[in-house]
Amino acid sequence: MERSEILKQFEPANENMLNILHALQNNNSQNYLSEEDIKIAANYLNTTYSHIYGVVTYYTMFSLKPRGKYIIRVCNSPVCNMENSTKVIEEIKRFLSIEVGETTDDKRFTLELSECLGRCGKAPGMMINEDVIGNLDNVDFKSIFENYN
Amino acid sequence: MIQEKRITLKNLGKINPESIDDYINVGGYKAFEKTVGRHHIEIIDEMVKSSLRGRGGAGFSAGLKEKFTSEACLRCEQKYLICNADEGEPGTFKDRIIMENDPHLMLEGMLIAAYAIGASKAYIYIRGEYYKSIDRINKAISAAKEKGIIGKNVFGSAFSVDVEVKLGAGSYLCGEELTLLESLEGKRGYPRIKPPYPAEYGLYGKPTLINNVETLATIPTIIEKGSDWYTSLGTENSPGTKIFTISGDVNKPGYYETEMGITLRELIYELAGGIKDGKAFYAAILGGAAGTFVNESVLDTPMGFDTLKEKGAVLGSGAIMVMSEGRSLFDMTNSILEFFKHESCGKCVPCRIGMPQLLHIMENLKNNKIGRIEALDLLLYESEFMAKSSLCPLGQSPILPIKSLKQYFENEF
Amino acid sequence: MSKLVNISIDGKKIQAPEGANLLQVAHNNGIKIPSLCYHKKLTPTGACRLCVTKIKGTNGLVMSCTVSIKEGMEITAFDQEIEETRKHILDYLLAEHNDHYDGTYYDEFREWVAHYGLDKPENRKYPNISKALNYKIDDSSPVLTYDASKCIKCFRCIKGCDEVQGKNVLSFSERGITSYIIAGFDQWNESECDGCGECVQLCPTGALVEKPHRDEVKLDKLDKKVITTCPYCGVGCQLELSVQDGKIVRSDGVEGVLPNDGRLCVKGRFGYDYVHSKERLTTPLIKKNGEFVEASWDEALDLIATKFSEIKEKYGNDALAGYSSAKCTNEDNYLFQKFIRVVFGTNNIDYCTRLCHASTVTAMLKSIGDGAGSNSIEDFATTDCLFVTGNNIIETHPVTATYVKNGKYAGKKLIVCDPKWTPLVKYADIWLQPRLGTDVALLNGMIRVIIKEDLIDPDFIEKRVDRGMEAFEELKQLVEKYTLEKTEEITSVPKEKIIEAARMYATARTAMIATGMGMSQQVTGTNNVFSLINMMMITGQIGKERAGIDPPRGQNNVQGATDVGCSPLIYPGYIPITNEENRKRVAKLWNIDFETLSGKPGLTTVEIMHAAYDKKVKGMYIMGENPMVTDPDLNHTEKALKKLDFLVVQDIFHTETTPFADVILPAASFAEKEGTFVNSDRRVIRVRKAVESPGKARDDWRIIVDIAEKMGYSIGNYNTESEIFDEIAQAAPIMAGISYDKIEHQGIQWPCPDKNHPGTSTLFLEKFNTPNGKGILNPVEHVPQTEQPSKEFPFILNTGRILYHYHTSTMSRRNKALTDFANESYVLMNPGDVVKFGFTNDEKVKLTSKQGELVTSLQASDQVAEGELFMPWHYSEAPVNRLTRSDLDPFSKIAAFKLTACKVEKI
Repeated sequence: MERSEILKQFEPANENMLNILHALQNNNSQNYLSEEDIKIAANYLNTTYSHIYGVVTYYTMFSLKPRGKYIIRVCNSPVCNMENSTKVIEEIKRFLSIEVGETTDDKRFTLELSECLGRCGKAPGMMINEDVIGNLDNVDFKSIFENYN
Repeated sequence: MIQEKRITLKNLGKINPESIDDYINVGGYKAFEKTVGRHHIEIIDEMVKSSLRGRGGAGFSAGLKEKFTSEACLRCEQKYLICNADEGEPGTFKDRIIMENDPHLMLEGMLIAAYAIGASKAYIYIRGEYYKSIDRINKAISAAKEKGIIGKNVFGSAFSVDVEVKLGAGSYLCGEELTLLESLEGKRGYPRIKPPYPAEYGLYGKPTLINNVETLATIPTIIEKGSDWYTSLGTENSPGTKIFTISGDVNKPGYYETEMGITLRELIYELAGGIKDGKAFYAAILGGAAGTFVNESVLDTPMGFDTLKEKGAVLGSGAIMVMSEGRSLFDMTNSILEFFKHESCGKCVPCRIGMPQLLHIMENLKNNKIGRIEALDLLLYESEFMAKSSLCPLGQSPILPIKSLKQYFENEF
Repeated sequence: MSKLVNISIDGKKIQAPEGANLLQVAHNNGIKIPSLCYHKKLTPTGACRLCVTKIKGTNGLVMSCTVSIKEGMEITAFDQEIEETRKHILDYLLAEHNDHYDGTYYDEFREWVAHYGLDKPENRKYPNISKALNYKIDDSSPVLTYDASKCIKCFRCIKGCDEVQGKNVLSFSERGITSYIIAGFDQWNESECDGCGECVQLCPTGALVEKPHRDEVKLDKLDKKVITTCPYCGVGCQLELSVQDGKIVRSDGVEGVLPNDGRLCVKGRFGYDYVHSKERLTTPLIKKNGEFVEASWDEALDLIATKFSEIKEKYGNDALAGYSSAKCTNEDNYLFQKFIRVVFGTNNIDYCTRLCHASTVTAMLKSIGDGAGSNSIEDFATTDCLFVTGNNIIETHPVTATYVKNGKYAGKKLIVCDPKWTPLVKYADIWLQPRLGTDVALLNGMIRVIIKEDLIDPDFIEKRVDRGMEAFEELKQLVEKYTLEKTEEITSVPKEKIIEAARMYATARTAMIATGMGMSQQVTGTNNVFSLINMMMITGQIGKERAGIDPPRGQNNVQGATDVGCSPLIYPGYIPITNEENRKRVAKLWNIDFETLSGKPGLTTVEIMHAAYDKKVKGMYIMGENPMVTDPDLNHTEKALKKLDFLVVQDIFHTETTPFADVILPAASFAEKEGTFVNSDRRVIRVRKAVESPGKARDDWRIIVDIAEKMGYSIGNYNTESEIFDEIAQAAPIMAGISYDKIEHQGIQWPCPDKNHPGTSTLFLEKFNTPNGKGILNPVEHVPQTEQPSKEFPFILNTGRILYHYHTSTMSRRNKALTDFANESYVLMNPGDVVKFGFTNDEKVKLTSKQGELVTSLQASDQVAEGELFMPWHYSEAPVNRLTRSDLDPFSKIAAFKLTACKVEKI
């Protein structure tokens, strides 16, 4: 979608800043906020792009770097950590051959860590884009990732 | 056998959360309809009498908060109601359960509170990762708008209100109410100086009431059944029910809504099916990362704001993270401190630099550069300094787990 | 005023206004509670936590910067626990800090560290992690450097940028321990930062430092610091110049003093290098056989005296004329006009004011009796509604603009009226974009709305307007035909906006008007301002605090030069020369025969040039002016200058005008002289000598006195500038109560009629300065511009200034910091026209008008409307005034710089 079409869905008011940035990021085929995205948002919200850059770097869901089609967020908070999220992270790293923060060569997956995702009843847990997957201590990652093309 | 007592989860599993008609058929929005026919002061009085204490963790009287916001100024052109749905306290997922399973209940609670304080605009600030909650709430708002329950002159009254969903984007601190305001204003999540409180100077400087999801979801039932009914539940100082989210080494981790005053033992052994693999109970962390470690001596303490305080513990968000024998307190503490460091905004010096210092002590302990006792004392020293000099609750948090470690596990850390 | 309450700090009893900031109250009372993130100009931040105190009855430690005081508060500011907490905090800060110190900046943090004994590494408890944090240095800005390893994250820079300068171009990146300050996308030179350096001034450590002279400055080697007045625009910012080895090495804003309270713009802070330029004139030069050769002062002055005397004798007094200077001090200008009147014996004296606000002043004098701004600069922040018209205030008066932005953030209303987009539009509630030259129609349309909606102030009209309702009825009749439809048709401003703006202005409790060159530099300039005044009068938006009309003055002393009589019509203090009593009074003061004073009005700036062209003026003395860039229709000016028999130019540099001179005299710059300027809000402020003049360059006033003497006249025996000013105070009643000792700390706003008078911040509270004390309505009709686009010249060219340069840029282009920001001429064209006429961005084009042509580069920009062009006029290699017309406004004789039909061609 054209950026201007996205912006039209929101009033140019400060309380829509994060919603707008989410929408622009979701619309970006590389799942990130480009300088162009930020400049357009700044213009729309009548603020400076320095201000928006500061906002973007504060919130962990936003990225200034291109990312994969699917963002894997592994919860590494105390409960999941106790339930061995570290092992989960290592396995995913090995399986996808990337480090945390990196994107697979085929641009499909970006691996990130996340704070508590509220899935503590099914720890360890993760999200792949909007999907939640829990009880990861004994799963076959191949079969999970196969579903994401 | 102890039973759950469901108020905020009363419709869970009984209705289709995406159907407003289902909700209305079980009596939904009746309380709100009744509300707009009453004077707003009556509603506030009812709330004050119910002694409902905020379910976000701080436990302040919800009624008084409404009263203060309502009285903040006589002729304000604008007041706001904000539903704090930025659930992020580790081990906590009660708000998500409400939003995903009964969004209209929370919405109804918001509408009643908005009416009580005279807010024509309400926001729901939901953490960005809660996709399903966002979806359910958005659908609920649309449905309520279609029915005229949200909008102009609801139920033929003079009251008009609009509700919008705003997303968080990955910051634990934005769940802190003053920081939430900054975030909602499109800024970096830095805490504001307190006072002024939001009741006086909130969103865009206007009087603002900020309530947690669970708090708001309790309101319709209080209005429906009255404050006397509500105070008959729970304990004297902590009336009503509470959702506990139990995780870790129990057989049936999950959410349980019970009356206040239930003991930890009942929660773990009767509702959550006891400790996994037949092991022994070792420790529990109550209230999340910004919570407290307790040992078996607290198992029979009734759960309540004040009863736990007497034991040096906190109820907090109602999170209970259970550790069985053999679990490492060091690892858990380290994980909690890593979490705090990651979420520290960096605005005030004690929190920004204190967090890495605490982890530095942990590292020294791990590398045997210092001993356990010394390490715990150092952690206590730094976290006490942070607690008394930090700007917001985040910097004041490490003292909670650390002090409780000292109290309950001095020799085992 | 809030009521006073009693508090005690460590037992010391203190009275202060209720609600005042506790930390500030402590500081004001000499109790030095440590703090780093607090600054009195900024809202409290509560970040550094150093200012901890205890308050009786309150649990725990309380940050004093976040406390508003109440009656009876008992505060402990120092005890063992508090002091240990402070030390702990500083020790923490040292852990993330790179404490290398190079002696080039004042470091508040370092001082506190030493105070608590933490300067000795052995006293520190925490391991230093600053290296591990891998902090970066951003050295990309032309004017400053940011070193994150020295940053204590106090927010002062960010808040200074937001709350003081209103720019919002700084932020933090990341969060927690890894956070650091950024501009733009973490690259300063590509950010929106305009280089004002407020952040540098507010930085309490060495994280943000000036780039110019970085390697030379050593604080312990400074000769002195001198407080003086900025030489650029008419805001009159107070600067503190640091001098080392006889050179200016730094410029800071002076905190706590009006008009700027520490604020500066990029020119004030980084534009002082020209003072030490190698291109300064250092010796008198005499043209011999077409070449300038160095001469002694005696030789040059003798020649000048002889030539001027010859011309006077042969062709009469009126064959001589002088341009005084809006750059020079009041003392220089006062003696210059005295020289012209006494020695030349003519009133042919004028200066570039004729080219900027003459029409404004003409209209204001006629209708309200005073040509100066009615309010104070700081009122721009507090008036309820501000109407800014034809005034790119952010670029032309950057520090005044900071007050406008402060007001905007405080919720005040702002209406911007400008055919061209200006940065202020971003802050505006309403932007009116009329076609060039249609201001009268727009204002008449607004006045009609105000009348129709009954938003007038009948009481004010009755009491304060000459002929009251009768005069109002005439205006009402005249504007009747400016219906919304007709106004929209003429101006292209949509009806709704006309209504909205009219209501916003008329219904505001107080409203001010800032009017600039866009209004004045037109052939209808005087009428434009009459219209503004009409609107102001009928709504009663004058005659009270924070209401009135204010023309921000373009040059540092354009206000003062007129105040002290550099005008063909008036003596110092706006006293008409045509009145015999006045002449007698002045003659007495000057100790001369009053009959030698000419009562014949002199020629104005452009008229002098026309007279030179017509060989009526034969000899000219130009002090610190550069007509070969500033005058309209430069081809004509060039011919006129060439026709002069004798021309003396006195300046600090060779200019575009000096080649036409017979003698060039080297003068002192602002940093080399004592004196006073008068800024835009009538404030008489001190200029102080910081450095010696280069070579043989001398104070302007001393040169003038010497020439007079050589011509056989004494225009006074002065030892110091202060004595000259005392004579000005005698000549000009508006300054009668002002003397150097009274303005030592802060300037005084005239009128100040006697020694005990505090000065006047708002004019016209009681009456206007017209003969009967009433304001005069001057209904005026819209007249279509004579200059219209045609087939041959399809574009209308507008001209103006940019932030980084000043006037003819003889000063500003001699500063690397400023030329790094901007150093190339350009013309802006609407992107639609760029496509339509087949141009490409950045290409070189030739602009041609009936008057002349020039080459510049084309930039596509939606800052201008279709059919219109805009060009900054600072660049002598593409002098815009080769194109402009010398058509004059009939009342004020101002030229129509703002509107020239042009064509644009590829080359």
